[in-house]
Amino acid sequence: MHLNKKSLLAVAGAMIAGGVAMNADEARADMASGLAMANTCAGCHGTDGMANGPAMPNIAGQPANYLIPVMKEFRSGERYSTIMGRIAKGYSDAEIEALSKAVAGWKWTGGAENPKLAMKTGETIAMVKPALAAEGEKLAKEMKCTKCHEDGGKSTEDDMPRVAGQHLDYLLFKMEDYKDEALKMPQPKKMKKRMDKASAKELEAISHFWAANK
Amino acid sequence: MSKLTRRSFVKAAGGVAAVGLAGCGAASPSIAGNKAQVIVVGGGYGGATAAKYIKKADPNVSVILIEQNKHYYSCPLSNPVLVGMRDLEVQKWGYEGLKKHGITVVHETVTGVDTGAKKVTTAGGVFSYDKLVLSPGVSFNYDAIEGYDEAATKTMTHAWKAGPQTAILRDQIDAMKDGGTMVLVAPPNPFRCPPGPYERASLIAHYFKTKKPKSKLIVLDPKDKFSKFGLFQSGWEKLGYKGKYLEWVPAGEGGKVTRVDPKTNTVYTEMDEFKADVVNVIPPQKAGKVAFLAGVANDKGWCPIDFKTFESTMAKDVYVIGDSSAAAGLPKSGYAANSEAKVAAAAIIASLQGKPAPMPTYVNTCYSILAPNYGISVALVSTLKDGKITKLSGGLSPMEATPAFRHQEALYAESWYQAIMNDTFA
Ligand SMILES: Cc1cc2nc3c(=O)[nH]c(=O)nc-3n(C[C@H](O)[C@H](O)[C@H](O)COP(=O)(O)OP(=O)(O)OC[C@H]3O[C@@H](n4cnc5c(N)ncnc54)[C@H](O)[C@@H]3O)c2cc1C
Repeated sequence: MHLNKKSLLAVAGAMIAGGVAMNADEARADMASGLAMANTCAGCHGTDGMANGPAMPNIAGQPANYLIPVMKEFRSGERYSTIMGRIAKGYSDAEIEALSKAVAGWKWTGGAENPKLAMKTGETIAMVKPALAAEGEKLAKEMKCTKCHEDGGKSTEDDMPRVAGQHLDYLLFKMEDYKDEALKMPQPKKMKKRMDKASAKELEAISHFWAANK
Repeated sequence: MSKLTRRSFVKAAGGVAAVGLAGCGAASPSIAGNKAQVIVVGGGYGGATAAKYIKKADPNVSVILIEQNKHYYSCPLSNPVLVGMRDLEVQKWGYEGLKKHGITVVHETVTGVDTGAKKVTTAGGVFSYDKLVLSPGVSFNYDAIEGYDEAATKTMTHAWKAGPQTAILRDQIDAMKDGGTMVLVAPPNPFRCPPGPYERASLIAHYFKTKKPKSKLIVLDPKDKFSKFGLFQSGWEKLGYKGKYLEWVPAGEGGKVTRVDPKTNTVYTEMDEFKADVVNVIPPQKAGKVAFLAGVANDKGWCPIDFKTFESTMAKDVYVIGDSSAAAGLPKSGYAANSEAKVAAAAIIASLQGKPAPMPTYVNTCYSILAPNYGISVALVSTLKDGKITKLSGGLSPMEATPAFRHQEALYAESWYQAIMNDTFA
């Protein structure tokens, strides 16, 4: 993802020079502000989008074609969330696009182990179990998850979010959410069919596989 | 970087040498050329983030972080430590990560700031700056409650700056007999972490309920309402704390404390007195001492700033972020300090490059833990409109949420902590 920072700044500059009164939304939608907005995500999603676990997702390098609709779905309430809906409402379409492009421009860096998480932190944190992950790998193939989540879940082709190496507690939460009929999570038809068939145990194993596949 | 003078830079280098940093590898290259010199005072949520994001945006700027302590203990998530849910060690962070970014870290106490001559003084030397960032946190008003002074904190802790104070209060709670009484004195507005005293009260009530069921916590409050009020009240009801393990006395019912006696562990309100086994006093607060030394605090005790850049309105080229700033519209929280730091960092870089400051964007999310697997939150997204910090979205988690929702929020609290600490210190 190559952002043309110069030209966007030039446009913003021209708008000021031309005496065009920009409202706050427009002013925050240039590329510099896109990065500034994206930087505020780091409080939960980590510096440059690599979160430190256990339950917050890495967002670095996720494709803009995924991030933009997801942010808009959070904003409208179509996509269930605990907190993202409340946050996404603060951004216009143009701002969502600018900040998503900045996030997409960050690099997924494999995600360092976080030594602090192994200490006593007060919450029960899920740990990857290799045997379960191996079973999950088989299931992910059988259930054709890897047909779209290619490269063992590492693909970020078009609108495909990377799931490999994602934090385990996040994956477990999302699987629960997708399974929960009442939440009506937006998802591709094919995926929904497979999720409907899958048992909670199978989804747990697949989560361990994705999380382990760094 | 035309504005920078070689003179100010060489003086900074002299300052570093004066405190004996000759052996510090990162120091010499970053101050060896004609570079802009930024000094950051205070290596907490605000200051450490500012130092890192200035370096990240422009590695050519020389950044010196002056912090009095070798380690930083995080207040966020220190409440669970008080009741044995969490190790104090998890709260402890060092400055190695920042040094790796090429930031020079000096462990000294700042004793003077001359905003005219643009100099900062410590016991070890004098530092010149082109831009100064102050993020010294809060200091306490020791003249507000009769009998509560610095000496009193040895037994009647505040535990409102994490570290040794956290350990003392934790040990007092641990040693308290079942059937004991604890008093928590809540502070008046404005203060650091608006939901903090009530998260603390919740977790102590949880501890009593599960470990010392004949004990009780009394919260004496000079206010009638507080942050996340409804969510706390309903949580206290649902978790079975209310009345039994936790009694909250608002101002309207005589909650305002006027005097304490540390010798007898007694707390006095206008109409009542409470003798307790453990007393925790969260005193009224004001900007950190350095802000007063620099002359950038107003008569209310906080530092007025330009909401677009966080530059002080009382001194040029001085940026005040974090709890010390009078940032109307933002809470005094770690997340807000982190967000303000990034706004100030961007404004400083722009100013050094002779460009206008970019539009600011502020985010705050704050989780509170009421019991294991029971979290609540408040969020805020804001920007600058008509010269004021204006809310664009946010709000509280729903009053009626499923146990799965509360569980997720508790785990997100932990995740937030891990992410923001790494964003600040790594
Ligand atoms: C119990 C509790 C729970 C909290 N929970 C949360 C939470 O869940 N989420 C949240 O967002 N916030 C929370 N907060 C608030 C958060 O801790 C503060 O808002 C945050 O620390 C403010 O950052 P700061 O940079 O202004 O100050 P600090 O983080 O206090 O940093 C100030 C630093 O400056 C240094 N310093 C001060 N004076 C000098 C000097 N003269 N020379 C050198 N160094 C100096 C200090 O040693 C310190 O390291 C909580 C606070 C408490 C007390």
